[in-house]
Formats: sequence, structure tokens, C-alpha cells
Amino acid sequence: MAEAKPKIRVRFYRFQNRLKERAGGAGHKGTGEIPAEILAKAQAALEEMAEDYPDWVMRLIKELTEQHRRCVDTPERRRAFFEQIHAIAHDMKGQGGTFGYPLVSAFAESLYDFTHGRASLTDNHVEIIKAHVDGIRVVITQRISGDGGEAGQALLAGLQEAIRKYKSKA
Amino acid sequence: MVEYNLDRFCILLVEDSAFIRSLLLNTLQLMGVGIVKTCDDGAQAIDFLKLVQNDPMKAGVQQVDIIISNWSMSPVDGMMLLRWVRRHKESPDRFIPFVMISGYSEPERVHEAREMGINEFLTKPFTMAAVYQKVLSIIDRPRQFVHTANYFGPDRRRQAVPHKGAERRVLTDKSPEVEVVRG
Repeated sequence: MAEAKPKIRVRFYRFQNRLKERAGGAGHKGTGEIPAEILAKAQAALEEMAEDYPDWVMRLIKELTEQHRRCVDTPERRRAFFEQIHAIAHDMKGQGGTFGYPLVSAFAESLYDFTHGRASLTDNHVEIIKAHVDGIRVVITQRISGDGGEAGQALLAGLQEAIRKYKSKA
Repeated sequence: MVEYNLDRFCILLVEDSAFIRSLLLNTLQLMGVGIVKTCDDGAQAIDFLKLVQNDPMKAGVQQVDIIISNWSMSPVDGMMLLRWVRRHKESPDRFIPFVMISGYSEPERVHEAREMGINEFLTKPFTMAAVYQKVLSIIDRPRQFVHTANYFGPDRRRQAVPHKGAERRVLTDKSPEVEVVRG
């Protein structure tokens, strides 16, 4: 009796690279690139959009301010407000750097870490959140792009100081 | 080196933030991508992919070549979209290259996306150069797809680099338990 064929446990799919042919022409084998002038145009478009970013992100800052106010006014619902802040911080940390505001990303990343599901709900913790929102607002209203030089460092130091101060009280 | 022309490419862009969506749309168009379709979340994207399958005339495209999707979206996020594309019987192309964009940069998140079968991971905040590199990588360095009992997606080993752990790949192309599908 013939031996039963072993069951197939792994399948490898190896297809012809049709995308490469479509991008580089039939028979193209090596690597390719996108023309430099096209990339320069894309970079210029990004820079143009970056000019609108502060206005756009201001809406999110207002929303953060509103959520912070609710944390103060309705302490018993803080967990839900923290969730909202956490989601906004997640978006902001992913955007600031792209538009030339890495400090927004840095502040938002820290804010994101301070509003996770098990974060403390004390008044002091809410103060730490406020320090973040205030910092982001300063970065945007004063258009502190890049690392912000001395002003940027001072802002980050101020945030660290606020975190240290309110954490020690918590 | 050849200059690529992406005029005959169709990219599906899925991003809930209007600002980022508009930025990526502009960028891809300026890079010369012929058609860029946009969706606000994974649910819309799934509907669109079904439409391409069932009524390409109405969809306005014959096929989607690359999906670029944000991870964190509501109600259907990027991971759910990826799972649908890779595993659902209604998926029009389970092999479609998928770039996940995410503000989540934690190693366990990247690992999770890799296990679900992404081709590339683009961390936010991203640069134009990074977007360009991811698209080029998909064109120039495609990987074979691997289907095992617990994984379906692009080969998770990009390069044949030595590693210290035990060799867990005991089967080769010649093993009777292996089938190589070419197309």
C-alpha cells in the first residue's frame, strides 16, 4: 500500500513582482527611485501644510482644556475624561513631529503616559495634566518649532518640575 | 537606477484625521501615484474593497495595489482591517501590501502588527522620506508569503541573518510538508 502523503504544513507563495514591472517598465529587475524633483515638491507641500498646523491643532488644545475643566468640575467622572484626553494625546503625539513641532509630540507623549487606564485620579494628578496642556498651548501660540532652543528646553524643564512637584504631593 | 513611474498605481489610504489624510493624499499624488482612494476608517475601507471586487466600474479602479492605513481609528481600526484583508473569505486580495501607520511605537505593538501580516510599519510622526522609503520597499523588496497553522502574511524574516536561538524553521522547499506556490 502506498504511504500516505504527509499533510501540507507550510505554504510559500512566491509571485512575480508585478508592481516593480509596472513602476519600472517590463523586464525591470534592479531597484528604482522616485525622481528627486517630485520628492522636493512633496516636501514643499508638507511645509505649506505645516503652516496651517498650529491653527488646526488649536482645536485639539481647546478640547484638552475643556476635558481638564471637566476633571476639575466633576471629579467623580475623571476616568472617562482621562480616556478622552488619552485619545487626543495619542493623535497629537503622532502629528506634531511631522509638521515641525516635535515638542508637541514630546508633551503629548508624556500626557498620553499620564492618562492610561490605571492612572491616579487625584487632584494632584489633574494638575500634572494641566501642566502638559499649558505647555502644548505655549509651544503652539509661540510657534516654538524644532527643539525650540532655550525656550523649548525651559518648557520641558518646567514640565518636569511640575510633574516632580505634584507627584511628591500625590 | 531607474526612475519609477507610479502613474498606474492605485493606493487605498485609510486615515481618520482629516489633516493627516490630506497630507498623505497630497504627498502620494505628488509622488506620482495615479489613483489614491481615501477612507475615514476600516469599515469604509472594507466596503470599498468589496466594491472593487464586485463592481470595479463603480469603484473607479480595477484593483488596489497598496493599502496604507492608520491603526487607531473608530469604529473599525487598522488592525481589524488588516485581519479582514489577510483572512476574510470576501477579501479581494489576501496578498495585498499593507503599510500600517501608527503613533504606537511600543515594541509589543509593532510585534502585534507584524504577527497579523503587515508589510511595513510607519511610525508617527513620520517624515516624507519615510513614506517614500516604505513605498519603495514594497516595490523593490517584496517578500514571499508564508501560510502556516498560525500565521498568514509576508515572510517575517527579511534577511538571512544568523540568530542565537534554536532554528525553528526545520522544513525546506523540498520537505514533503511544504508546498511552494508560484504565480
